Amino acid sequence: MAAHALSGPAGERRGHTIKRIAASETVAGWAFVMPAVILIAVFALIPIGWSLLLSLQSNNLIAPGHYVGLANYRALFKDHQFRSAIGHTVVYTAIFVPVSVGGALVVAVALNRKIRGIRFYRLAVFVPLVTSTVATGIIFLWLLDPTFGLFNYLLSLVGLPQQQFLQDPNQALYCIIAMTTWGWIGFDVIIYLAALQGIPADLLEAAEMDGASRLSTFRSVVVPLLGPATLFLVVWSTINALQLFDEIYVTTRGGPLGSTTMIVYYLYQQAFQFFNGGYGAAIAYVLFVAILLVTLVQMWIGRRRVYYSS
Amino acid sequence: MKRLVLFLTAGALALAGCGGSSSGGSGSGTTASGNVNITLWEGYTETEAAAINKLASEFNATHKGITVHVQFYGNNDYALQKVLAAIAGGKPPDISYLYGSWAPNIVTNPGIVQLNSLIAQDPSFNWNDFWPAARGVATVNGKIIGVPALIDNLALVYNKKLFAEAGIAPPTANWKWGEFERAAIKLTNTARKQFGWAYVNDASEDTVWRYWAMLWQAGGTILTPDGKHAAFNSPAGVKALTLLQTLAQHKSIYLDNGSGNYLGLFTSGHIGMLWTGPWDLANITASKIPYGVEILPADLNHQTISGPDNWVVFNNGSARTKAAWEFLKWLTSPAVDLKWATMTGDLPMRASVTKLPNYKQFVAKYPGVGVWVKNLGNATQTRPVSVLYPKISAVVGEAVQSVLLGRAQPQQALSQAEQQVNGILAAP
Repeated sequence: MAAHALSGPAGERRGHTIKRIAASETVAGWAFVMPAVILIAVFALIPIGWSLLLSLQSNNLIAPGHYVGLANYRALFKDHQFRSAIGHTVVYTAIFVPVSVGGALVVAVALNRKIRGIRFYRLAVFVPLVTSTVATGIIFLWLLDPTFGLFNYLLSLVGLPQQQFLQDPNQALYCIIAMTTWGWIGFDVIIYLAALQGIPADLLEAAEMDGASRLSTFRSVVVPLLGPATLFLVVWSTINALQLFDEIYVTTRGGPLGSTTMIVYYLYQQAFQFFNGGYGAAIAYVLFVAILLVTLVQMWIGRRRVYYSS
Repeated sequence: MKRLVLFLTAGALALAGCGGSSSGGSGSGTTASGNVNITLWEGYTETEAAAINKLASEFNATHKGITVHVQFYGNNDYALQKVLAAIAGGKPPDISYLYGSWAPNIVTNPGIVQLNSLIAQDPSFNWNDFWPAARGVATVNGKIIGVPALIDNLALVYNKKLFAEAGIAPPTANWKWGEFERAAIKLTNTARKQFGWAYVNDASEDTVWRYWAMLWQAGGTILTPDGKHAAFNSPAGVKALTLLQTLAQHKSIYLDNGSGNYLGLFTSGHIGMLWTGPWDLANITASKIPYGVEILPADLNHQTISGPDNWVVFNNGSARTKAAWEFLKWLTSPAVDLKWATMTGDLPMRASVTKLPNYKQFVAKYPGVGVWVKNLGNATQTRPVSVLYPKISAVVGEAVQSVLLGRAQPQQALSQAEQQVNGILAAP
């Protein structure tokens, strides 16, 4: 981010006059971007640099630490709990992203109509997003309570067996996926709705006149035109999914039996429960690099596959 | 999540200046008239917040030359990070409320004041009058890092109505595990969604400390006396975990996922018994449910477990340290301690408080609280005061959870946990 901001105003240098203007433009340019540069430097770059140093230390975050080289990283590669946290996070992301983005597309198409009460439906889809993740977690704890929860009551009404949900190590992760999809889908829907309304009506008309069915119009015209929105949502959801924390912290605390321990929850445990600050920072750095790589791959695929209309 | 990572890095930032900045100027809080201003950080809400402010003004009015400024710093959970940042910034508070579980880590920070010599020079302070569990948590390898600020313990709280309905005699101080187990099973009624007991099953310390109480009751210990090996994988450990297993198999335990739902279910008559502390008393009393309090049932003994917190003093020069000490001495003196207890419902921190004439009023004001106070005498052991304890707790938490969920047998779970804990203790 900052590299971009820095290279912008550095300007072309051709001849003295231009140079002088460039110089003054440089000053003005810097003046404009300075507040942002300072904010980014103080709240992003310096902490990023510091956590790199921290990841090379043995540090309990209470007393001054000491440098241990790459010991934290070496320990990470041998840490089977970290490996299972990666496993849970990958499973979570691999299901959450397609389900929430795909589901949002279906919901957005359904909401992109002029029917009575459409504002209410749109609001209903959006409300979970503005509900705090903590509130979402507490609500679902009650809904999914094996004895007193609504879901088991509904199951009993239709004669299905009672489930343990968040208290079953085999089900908890999927409950978390369902819960977070419910919580986050509103954002994806809004983006898709905006993108749907940006599709030129004449293209749809042309497709209709050419005799395309509604389904093939959707597949061959609408979906490709939604490409940029889809790319954005996939990248954004993936980053969010890889960093899942709040909902885990509020509901399962990584359990039962570690079955929902995600990378960031494991980081939290190490840094703030076990006082392994350096180790936690190393986990954060591994995650940072992983997210960077995943995002780059997604952007690279996106550049080849996504159609930008203008 | 982003906040968390920033937090971590902010912690690192805070540490940058940690090395040299721990001693503020000795005169920085002293005015020309010789008055010493000291700051106390607390995270109390409601009743306790009002009480600490009231007592501080009382102290200020009666102690010329010292002014205590009480500052609310938000939730106690975040106290440690805030204090660390303040130490790095060169302006730590003089006194801060800190959780007892942080003690083994805090002792490594050069900014805290060790109280051993102050306590030794001042026989009137009478350190041994504090409950043993509280002294144990404030002492790390012989270094006293704080004055006890809170002490509690687990006792048995039961719903009298459910006991009467089930035709069971209420618990007594002589109850054994067998009676407890039979009562829990008899109080269970699946059709009415009624459970005999509740257990926090999030594998956190909340899961673990109740198990430690049972382990101690059966005569077991957590670690070997030298602290180098696990000792909980013993006949006592298996016996304690088997009690949990039996009750779980009878579906007599409501497994709370850590959100504290058990309390609402107890006050609405769905749970017969709780093992809990005085912190739940206000809600239980408010619910008007007919309840009784009794000490925990015994296997070999009635031991309970206690979770004390501390007032920790930070070094801002000798004048302010002395003032901070004066205040803490006054605050935890028997008469003031009783005043605090009567205002807040917290348990008194000194044994001698129970002999004061006004103690009767305290017990009368909070029905049942007297049992918890008496029960402090049963809190004879403490959890290992070690920086490794949180890791040990995490391992044992999963062992207990695996048995409660029917995924492992007690012996198998404990053997596995023992192996892991020994690995943690052996690590360099």
